[in-house]
Amino acid sequence: MTLKLGRHSFADDATLMMAIVNRTPDSFYDQGATWAEDAAFARVAAVVEQGAEIVDIGGIKAAPGQEISAAEEKERVVDLVARVRSSYPSLVISVDTWRAEVGAAVCAAGADLLNDAWGGADPELVDVAAEHGAAIICTHTGGVTPRTRPFRIEYDDVVAAAIDDTVRYAERALAAGVARESIVIDPAHDFGKNTFHSLEVTRRLGEMVDTGWPVLVSLSNKDFVGETLDLPVGERLVGTLAATAVCALAGARIYRVHEVVETRQVVDMVWTIAGRRPPQRAIRGLA
Amino acid sequence: MKIALVPGVPALLPSYSSIEDPVADLRKACLAAVTDLGPRVRVVTGQDPGLRVARHLVAEAGAEESADEPTGILVVGNGSAKRTSKAPGDFDERAEVFDDDLRRALLEPLPTALSAIDARLAEEMWADVEGIRTLGELLTPADTAEVAYDAAPYGVQYWVISWR
Repeated sequence: MTLKLGRHSFADDATLMMAIVNRTPDSFYDQGATWAEDAAFARVAAVVEQGAEIVDIGGIKAAPGQEISAAEEKERVVDLVARVRSSYPSLVISVDTWRAEVGAAVCAAGADLLNDAWGGADPELVDVAAEHGAAIICTHTGGVTPRTRPFRIEYDDVVAAAIDDTVRYAERALAAGVARESIVIDPAHDFGKNTFHSLEVTRRLGEMVDTGWPVLVSLSNKDFVGETLDLPVGERLVGTLAATAVCALAGARIYRVHEVVETRQVVDMVWTIAGRRPPQRAIRGLA
Repeated sequence: MKIALVPGVPALLPSYSSIEDPVADLRKACLAAVTDLGPRVRVVTGQDPGLRVARHLVAEAGAEESADEPTGILVVGNGSAKRTSKAPGDFDERAEVFDDDLRRALLEPLPTALSAIDARLAEEMWADVEGIRTLGELLTPADTAEVAYDAAPYGVQYWVISWR
């Protein structure tokens, strides 16, 4: 399906790199490296240079921590969104938030996409997306409260649960007035899931793709990779890319990543193996 | 009767297309030359992939392959594939001389020389001359050649030449 992300449209065979930009002092991977607005802006410039089509700006780390009010969250992200909008008109700006109030403010500042990593915790977020012509990402969290870690969550079938919840969320967004081509689903690895759940979702990602909704995967350096390989944050790139390859073969369209260049290479390679993309330049044996 | 020569380069086929066309200039020259042959084109070529390339170019040009009352003749062939150390057939010091002789015979043109191409040497040079040899019967010394492409970008000598 053709993707329409706010102001931007993409062909139905395009894959997209969504680069993570943390306007946070405490996110797990970068530990505040881009906390200052200038540092976050420099990160945007860097990932654009690396070829990212989307930046995903977040003002609150996913894990439990100090409570951040909506006012504080807006203070962290709205000005940055506006600055990125004016500097990079052709870049898709996503904001990682579950709050409708924050969503409205960032859309007014130029955001194209609301990345609701917490699975619709705030029911009004879809209305905000509809009102602003923004796209929305519908994630599966198993119904957990935002910013909590999974604890002894069990599913009869984690993939069926992920499909049920995200498709229901997608249909709710559609009913609220979000354009069909502006709705993306995300199984949300590690959110409301233990490592076995995340591995199963990866293994069976094709079932999510078969729903017809475009699928986003967020795998980058996550704990399911770390636990699978017994590696700390900082040593999970190879494992992340292996999971990325599996998801690409299944047909995931958007990849939320820390490492743009490496992920782009893996996705292009797999997409080409799958026959969905020609080689960049093939002449060997054909001259 | 218009006659054109193009090389049977598989990279010209849609099934081998890349995002960035490695033979963009060659493709452009081939299409222009084939289009110039008119609506009914007789194809003269050796075995695959030359035939497939010819059929693709004819279709792309909006013409049809026809041996009956053709408006033009498309000949498929190329020089040596041993022009450089990176060439498919590796470097052979005889390749350039072989291609120079072949070029002279094509451009003059020298029908007798074309008919008498040394088949064994051509094979050693990895040259595709089966169709080109037929040019000896199709061309006369009075024909004039127009060269649209003459290069060996991947160590294989390509020509796109039209005669009238």
